[in-house]
Amino acid sequence: MAAFPYYDTLAIDALNAQAVALLGLFAERGYVREEPAVLQPAEIFLDRSGEEIRRRTFTLMDPSGRELCLRPDLTIPICRQAVEAGRPFPARIAYNGLVFRHQPGEPHRPTQFFQAGVELLGLEDRAAGETEILSLTIEALRVAGLKQFSLRIGDVALFGALVDALALPAQWRARLKRHFWRAGYVESLLYWLGHGDRTASLPGTRAELEALLDARADAPMAGRTREEIINRAMDRAAEAAALKLDAGVADAIAKLLDISGPAEAALASIRGLLKTAGINLDPQLAAMDGRLATLKSLGVDPGQVQFTAHFGRNMEYYTGFVFELSARDKEGPVQIAGGGRYDSMMEMLGAKKPISAIGCAIRTERVLAARNGGGA
Amino acid sequence: MLTLAIPSKGRLKDNCNAWFASAGVTMEQTVGARGYRASFAGFPDVEVMLLSASEIASSLLAGDIHLGITGEDLLREEAPELAGRMHLVKPLGFGFADVVVAVSQYWIDVSTMADLDDVCAAYAATHRRRLRVATKYAQLTRSFFAEARISDYRIVPSAGATEGAPAAGTAEVIVDITTTGATLKDNGLKILDDGVILKSQAQLAASLTADWDAGARKACDALLSKLDPASPLYTTLAKQLP
Repeated sequence: MAAFPYYDTLAIDALNAQAVALLGLFAERGYVREEPAVLQPAEIFLDRSGEEIRRRTFTLMDPSGRELCLRPDLTIPICRQAVEAGRPFPARIAYNGLVFRHQPGEPHRPTQFFQAGVELLGLEDRAAGETEILSLTIEALRVAGLKQFSLRIGDVALFGALVDALALPAQWRARLKRHFWRAGYVESLLYWLGHGDRTASLPGTRAELEALLDARADAPMAGRTREEIINRAMDRAAEAAALKLDAGVADAIAKLLDISGPAEAALASIRGLLKTAGINLDPQLAAMDGRLATLKSLGVDPGQVQFTAHFGRNMEYYTGFVFELSARDKEGPVQIAGGGRYDSMMEMLGAKKPISAIGCAIRTERVLAARNGGGA
Repeated sequence: MLTLAIPSKGRLKDNCNAWFASAGVTMEQTVGARGYRASFAGFPDVEVMLLSASEIASSLLAGDIHLGITGEDLLREEAPELAGRMHLVKPLGFGFADVVVAVSQYWIDVSTMADLDDVCAAYAATHRRRLRVATKYAQLTRSFFAEARISDYRIVPSAGATEGAPAAGTAEVIVDITTTGATLKDNGLKILDDGVILKSQAQLAASLTADWDAGARKACDALLSKLDPASPLYTTLAKQLP
């Protein structure tokens, strides 16, 4: 597809017909359609997703100097509106609209494309929410006329639970979880864990740390309190002592992160590895079994479902179940839909209490191309 | 006609003049017009322009000039991907400076980018907003922080006196240029152990998007051979030209 797509009559008609079908299905299932503005204040994306998203976002200044952007997704503005309008939960919201992405280093990828999707916010029963979204995504692809597709699933929370089961200092557990989604990085953190503390040693007692700070009283505190600094320094000193991961456990994690393949076999291997390492993650694995059962009941061929432990979705906001659907167009396999759980988003956007959230987005133009070009 | 831009003031200008003089190239400032144009004795087809160091970087990128001398920091900030846009002809051995990540000396628990990553994440969680990094090097900062896997931060553009931002409370961390580190120290700041983003120096750079007609190529060949007879500077450049 071209960097700046041009839609001719045929393409417009096909997209419109597809939109009617998809939005019709979403409405039937109780999802109300909404649409945030194309032009958004840049900070709502930057504050949520960090400076990194700037690399993929078109930003501009309005004449008064305020920084705006073309929406890089619809999820964040939709969730933000749900928080600000104080709407009752659970809320079911559907959308279909253009998003805009800069594609650094990939000048032939489109800078704008349509996404149709749903968000299910504030449903207490998480398993029910996952079944609902997964079923709806698959039904939507079928309604859009796509017969053949494959599925890849994973669970960010599985890794989180695994890390929590390790005898590691809190800061290191947070680090491992924070960087889980970055391919290769967790492996290098595990390497550091096996080779001891890489940071310069600080004195371990509060009095010594206090003295160090007093000697630097002229330097700016730069937004952090004295207490914050002392606490982190003490944690770090304590860490140095506790920072050893049992070789067998480190090995089990590395192996586990490598697991990728047909879902049922992959889960069996995970159970085996965890048993050897003496780690119990039964609730998380049971949840995965439940999702596989859902897929089976939807008539999805189990051979088309892959499980990947080190799920490569390049999106830091996912917190649990994640999934990705692919099909083939003329050039090969393409991702046509993706989604998952992002339970921390609503609080980051200002909600006063935790609100569960799960959703999916479909790349509708790719679905059309896969339907017309690839098929099998 | 070949256009070459050199810095219009400061130590960089003096160093440039000394380099030209050592190669036997004499600069003659054109009279009038406030002295922003000059020429080289014996090079009638070379037009010398005196511009600010940052204008030189943007003019090279825009293809408005053929050659320019300016700091590598400014070139890399202007064009994060140099390929196809600019060619670094020769590092000049002066104008040395480092672009670095610096934090308050009060942050005794922070000495590496990994520490900063922890602090960024903790700050975002407790303060519900991102830690601010003041800099005039937004591009360099973004790619360096991305490489260090840090995403929980915001860039605050800084026009000058960046080193004062943490004390003034307009940012928590800075990315700035330093030669001796003395200014940072005076402001109670320290450079992170692995926080050197770029070791910069003055570069003679060529724009690959400028209009390189036969006259410009010929004048460039003659000038580069005179400035550095020992290296095939022009041959290397010519391979890059469209």
